[in-house]
Amino acid sequence: MSRAKLQSLGIDLPLFPTTSVGSFPKPDFLLKARADFASRRIRLGALEKAARQATEFWIREQEKLGVDVLVDGEMYRGDMVAYFAAHLEGFEEGGLVRSYGNRYYHKPIITGEVHWEEPITVEWWKYARGLTSKPLKGILTGPYTVMDWSFIEYYPDRLTACLALAKEIRKEVEALIQEGAKIIQIDEPAISVRPEELPVAIKAMHIVTDGLPAYFITHICYGAFEAIYPAMLDLPVDNFDLEMSNSGLDILELFKKARYTKDISLGVVDVHSHVVEEERVVEQRLRHALELLPKEAIWVDPDCGLKTRTVEEAIAKMQSVVTAAKALRAVTSDK
Amino acid sequence: MELVLCNHSSYPRIGDDTEHQVLRRTIAQHDKGEKTEDAVRAAQDRMTELALAEQEEAGLDLVTDGQIRWLDPISHLAAKLSGVRVNGLLRFFDTNFYFRQPVVQGKLERTKPLLVEEFKFAKEKSTRSVKAVLTGPYTLARYSVEEKGGAGGFDKMLEGYTAALAAEVAALAAAGATVIQVEEPALLKYPDDFPRLEQSLTALAMSKDSAQLALVLYFGDPAPIYDHLQTLPVDLLGFDFTYNPGLVDRIASNGTARTLVLGLVDGRNTRLEDPAATARQLEKLARGADLSRAYLSPSCGLEFLPRDRARQKLKHLAVIRNTLLGSPA
Repeated sequence: MSRAKLQSLGIDLPLFPTTSVGSFPKPDFLLKARADFASRRIRLGALEKAARQATEFWIREQEKLGVDVLVDGEMYRGDMVAYFAAHLEGFEEGGLVRSYGNRYYHKPIITGEVHWEEPITVEWWKYARGLTSKPLKGILTGPYTVMDWSFIEYYPDRLTACLALAKEIRKEVEALIQEGAKIIQIDEPAISVRPEELPVAIKAMHIVTDGLPAYFITHICYGAFEAIYPAMLDLPVDNFDLEMSNSGLDILELFKKARYTKDISLGVVDVHSHVVEEERVVEQRLRHALELLPKEAIWVDPDCGLKTRTVEEAIAKMQSVVTAAKALRAVTSDK
Repeated sequence: MELVLCNHSSYPRIGDDTEHQVLRRTIAQHDKGEKTEDAVRAAQDRMTELALAEQEEAGLDLVTDGQIRWLDPISHLAAKLSGVRVNGLLRFFDTNFYFRQPVVQGKLERTKPLLVEEFKFAKEKSTRSVKAVLTGPYTLARYSVEEKGGAGGFDKMLEGYTAALAAEVAALAAAGATVIQVEEPALLKYPDDFPRLEQSLTALAMSKDSAQLALVLYFGDPAPIYDHLQTLPVDLLGFDFTYNPGLVDRIASNGTARTLVLGLVDGRNTRLEDPAATARQLEKLARGADLSRAYLSPSCGLEFLPRDRARQKLKHLAVIRNTLLGSPA
C-alpha cells in the first residue's frame, strides 16, 4: 500500500530500495572547519562553505554507490537533538553528558516555551536536492526524542513538553513539503524507553504528520522493541526504519507473533563496529527477513547513522548494503 | 534526625572546561595509538581526584570515586570476569546512555579483583568516607546474553555473577570499605524475580564482614515490592523517588526496618528542587518511618547531568538539609 503512496507522490523505486539513516562521517576538512569555527578562527560563512562541500561529497558518493534514496549526510549538524534545540526558541545549550564509551554530547535544556521561528533544515535540503536527480529524504528528530533527550525545566511534565514540541516540529515538516520533499523521516530512537508513554509518542506523531502529503518514515534504534511491539504500529507513518543487525535480528521473532503491517527499512550493517560486513552476511540477513516480510515492503540500510565511522568505513558499509540489495533484487522473482 | 549527605554513584567524567576534557582527549589519542595505557590511567586518576574534590566542596559526608574509570555500569564489571566477552550497544534502562552487552560464553569466574584498586585510590585521595559501589549480580545477569548455552542458563549465570561479586564484596570490606552499595535497578523491571535477588543478596551479605551493605534501586518505582524489600539481609535500602510521587506516603505509612537512602534529588533533570518542598517530604517521611539516621542522596548516578548541574545538585543536598534542620552553627 505504501508503494502505491510513493507512486502517487511521483516516486518509483526498485525492489529493495537502498538508503541510509541520515548522518555520514564528516570529512577531515569539515572537522577542521568546525574546530576553527568553535575557536573563532573562521566565520560562519567559511564553515557553511565547508559543510556544502562535504554535502556535495556525500551526494556524489551515494550516487557512485548506486543508493536509491539519498540523504544530505547532515554535514551541518552535530548531535541530532542539540541541532534542533539550537534552532528552536525555548532551549538553552546544556553541558556535555556521555552517550556511550568515550562519546559525549551537549544535552539541551528546555527553559522556556518552545517555538519554531523559521525553517531549520530546509535550505540544506534544497542545496542537496539541487545536486542530484534521485529522491532525497528530509530528516528531522521527532518530538518524543527531542523531549526525552532534553532536560525539562519549563514544562511541568514530559507529556506537555512532547506535545508542545510536536506542534512546532510539524511546521518544519510543512516547510520541507512546501519546497518539494516527498519522503520525510522523523527519527524517534527514544520511543521505546518508557513503553507506558508510547501513546504520548503516537499522539505527538499524529500532530506532526496528519493530513500532510508525504511518505513518512520513522527511525528507531537500540531500544526495547519487544516492549512496544505491535502497539508501535499505530504510529502514523508508512515505514519503520529499524536497527536490526546490532541486536541479532531479534525483532524478526516479534513479527512471528504479530504480523508486521507497514514498510520497513532493515538495518543490516552495524554502525558501531569498525568491521565491514561481507556482502554475503548482509544478504543472509535480508533473506532471513524475507521469510517473514513481503519483498515489496523491504528497504535496506544501515542500523543507524554512520557518523561515528570513518569516511572509508562508511562508504564500505554502504557498498555492502547496496551490493547485497542489488544481488537479491536480481534473483528475486517479481511475480 | 541525622541526615548523612552522600553521592549516589557516578559523577561526570567530563566538563566544558579544558581541564575537564583531559580523559576524553587522552582516550581518543590512545585509540589512535598516540597515548599509552599509563597516560589513560593518569587521566582517570586526575578526573577521579577532581570528582572527589567537588563532592567534598559540596559538603558531602559520604563520597564515591565517581566511577570515572567505568565505560558503563555493566561491562566494567562483567568484562573483567573470565567466560565473558562484550558485544554491541544496548540502551541503559530509559536513558540516552548505552552499555556494551556482556556475552557469557562459559563458566563465570573472578580471576582478579574488580574494583579494589579503584576503591583504594579514592580512599587514599579523599578526606571523607568513601562508599564502594557495584552493579549487582541480578542486574548484570539480566543484561547479559548467553552464547550457545555456555553459561548453563540464566540461574547459572546469576550464580556465577553472585559468586564473583561476593568475593569482591569481601575484598572491598578487607580494603576498608565501610559502606558497600549494590545496585539492582533491573529488579524493578522484573519484580517477580525477587526470590532470585534475595538469594543472590544473601550470598553477598555473608561476605561483607563489618561493612554496611546497601541495596539501591533506581529508574523505577519500588512501591509494589516495598514490603518484600524490607525483609532483605541488608543494612541500608536506597530508592529513587522520581518515578512515583506517592512513594513518600507509602514509606511514611509502612515505616522501615532498614536505614534509608533517600533519592529525593532528581539525578536526571537539571531543575533544582524547591528545598522547602523536599524538606516537607522529609518531615512527612519522618512522621511514619525511622529517620533517626538516614542518607540524603541524588536519585541515581550524576553522570546523566552536565558537570556544572551535577555540582549544583550535590550542593543542593546541603541546602535541603539546612532548610530542614537549620544551618550548622
